[in-house]
Amino acid sequence: MKLLVVEDDRDGAAYLKKALSEAGHVVDVATSGRQGLLLAAGEPYDVVVLDRMLPELDGLAILRTIRAAGVKTPVLLLTALGGIDDRVEGLNAGGDDYLVKPFAFAELLARVNALARRPPPQDTPTELSVADLKVDLLKRTVTRGGQRVELQAREFQLLEYLMRHAGRVVTRTMLLEGVWDFHFDPKTNIVETHMSRLRGKVDRGHGAELIHTVRGAGYILREPD
Amino acid sequence: MFRSTSLRLAALYTAAFAVAVVVLGVITFFSTRETLQEQFDRRVRAESAALAQEYRTEGLNGVVEAVRERDHTPGALRYGLRGPGGVAVAGRLGAAQTPLGWSVVLKPGEPRDEAMRVYAADLPDGYVLLVGDEADRIELLDGALLRGFGWAFAGIVVLGVVGGFALSRDVGRRLAAISGTAEAIIDGVLARRVPVRGSDDDLDRLALTINRMLDRIAGLMESLKQVSSDIAHDLRTPLTRLRNRLESGLADPGERDQALEGALGDLDAILDTFAALLRIAQIEGGARRAGFRPCDLSDVARTVVDAFAPSAEEVGQSLTLVADAPARVEGDPELLTQLLVNLVENALRHAGPSARIEVRTETGEGGPRLVVRDDGPGAPADERGRLMDRFYRLERSRSTPGSGLGLALVAAVAKLHGAEVQLLDAGPGLEARIAFPPAG
Repeated sequence: MKLLVVEDDRDGAAYLKKALSEAGHVVDVATSGRQGLLLAAGEPYDVVVLDRMLPELDGLAILRTIRAAGVKTPVLLLTALGGIDDRVEGLNAGGDDYLVKPFAFAELLARVNALARRPPPQDTPTELSVADLKVDLLKRTVTRGGQRVELQAREFQLLEYLMRHAGRVVTRTMLLEGVWDFHFDPKTNIVETHMSRLRGKVDRGHGAELIHTVRGAGYILREPD
Repeated sequence: MFRSTSLRLAALYTAAFAVAVVVLGVITFFSTRETLQEQFDRRVRAESAALAQEYRTEGLNGVVEAVRERDHTPGALRYGLRGPGGVAVAGRLGAAQTPLGWSVVLKPGEPRDEAMRVYAADLPDGYVLLVGDEADRIELLDGALLRGFGWAFAGIVVLGVVGGFALSRDVGRRLAAISGTAEAIIDGVLARRVPVRGSDDDLDRLALTINRMLDRIAGLMESLKQVSSDIAHDLRTPLTRLRNRLESGLADPGERDQALEGALGDLDAILDTFAALLRIAQIEGGARRAGFRPCDLSDVARTVVDAFAPSAEEVGQSLTLVADAPARVEGDPELLTQLLVNLVENALRHAGPSARIEVRTETGEGGPRLVVRDDGPGAPADERGRLMDRFYRLERSRSTPGSGLGLALVAAVAKLHGAEVQLLDAGPGLEARIAFPPAG
């Protein structure tokens, strides 16, 4: 994928470029707001990683400008501001996701991947399926290999989230935000517990496992090899 | 002195008032003058008409008699009767050769010249009746009027100037007290407040508002100071540990991976503490009321219990919800969720294995309440109050993970919502009770 990183801290930008390149992406770096705006508005990127606090032209101004110009590239905002208002403000300005510094690189990578292949908003499938696992979003039913799987409401949401991101790593934080709407980090292993229950129902006794733990990063639901 | 607002205002008002008095004086002067002149003239014409009547009833002799008599009455008008051919017949005005109607006659006399305003009316047979009044009678009155207005004018100017100085001294003193307080605070005497008289006038109310503002700023500064000293005290220990780990990793390459991994864990814990401190400071700063909207405590409780119950079951604890009726409050659902999560996690962590934890929402006359109760060991009565201080931890909990900030955040969120936090003995166990103010 082709990514643009707009980050004024040269060390931070260099680290992101190196790490994202190692993950197989082509990365352009802009170290000023102006340069970032020119690149983001002029070149086709799959995802823009945009630091919110930049000298001269700040991240939100860039975001508003390119959105006003009709650029629909998904934007991941990076920020040192962790307040709730800051997050809401960032998303309202046209950001697609929001990550507070400092972050683990695995978290950033997972979120970039999640943004890149997001289906267009008008495309709302009524059924999701991976291998022999099928989720009917209208009837809210799940079958594995034709057999009905009974899930509780929250487990269904968890599975739906994994299915929508099938083939991509989702992190614990992404699940907390996407499934529970928790924008803080509980100290209890609630994600692990719910995930293990879900796996017990979806994977146990069905041959090939679909949900996998990615060490140090999160979870992934994918077709068996 | 002329840079004093109140003095300038007083001067302006005095000037405006003085101009008003002058205008009023001029108008009164002329209208009084006209009215008096009319009255004098009417008197003259009435006398003239009375004498003409006399002539008709008593004849010439009667008039002559009347003119003579009236002419010599002290304080009365002047009279005269002129015969045909301009001959003076009777009265001091008899010799005046005036035309018919109004005219002014100048008569040299002692002790001064006299100007008379004379009305001449003709009688039958060529006689002319003359009635006159002193012309300077009006001027005498003019003088009295002008003197009166002059005194009034002077009085107003004096009162205005004196009052202006007095007013500006009073207001000036009170403004000086306000600016003195501000100067003292700039110089670092932060406890100073503007003196209040208790008179409840506008300046007093301003002083009270300024004092409230200063209290608020002092509160914010206190909270900021608290955060910085907390950071200084309680982040040093983990930072030292982190440093030691990195050093040992450098010294012994065989342990490098293990040291780095441990260092990353330490660092995450430090960042967590840091984020929690900033969040508490942000909430205490009160900037978050913008996110307030009507929400239901039961919904919040349901989400949290639903999220944590499986984790509790895994370690043999139970987490249950009792929420019979909607408990509506005006608040920030995200912060309320975090408040409840902290209370629940607190109970999960400290109530011990196989503890029963109950989350309950209540509605009542006192307002909605959110209650988290466990049947664990609880906390000693004398320490319960301090549990909400930052970094305060019970002696027996020091070995368990946690930053000691959970309840401090609960207290901050509750305060933002105007809610009261009570930590009670649940006999056995601990009951945390968040009492929200009644709706409305």
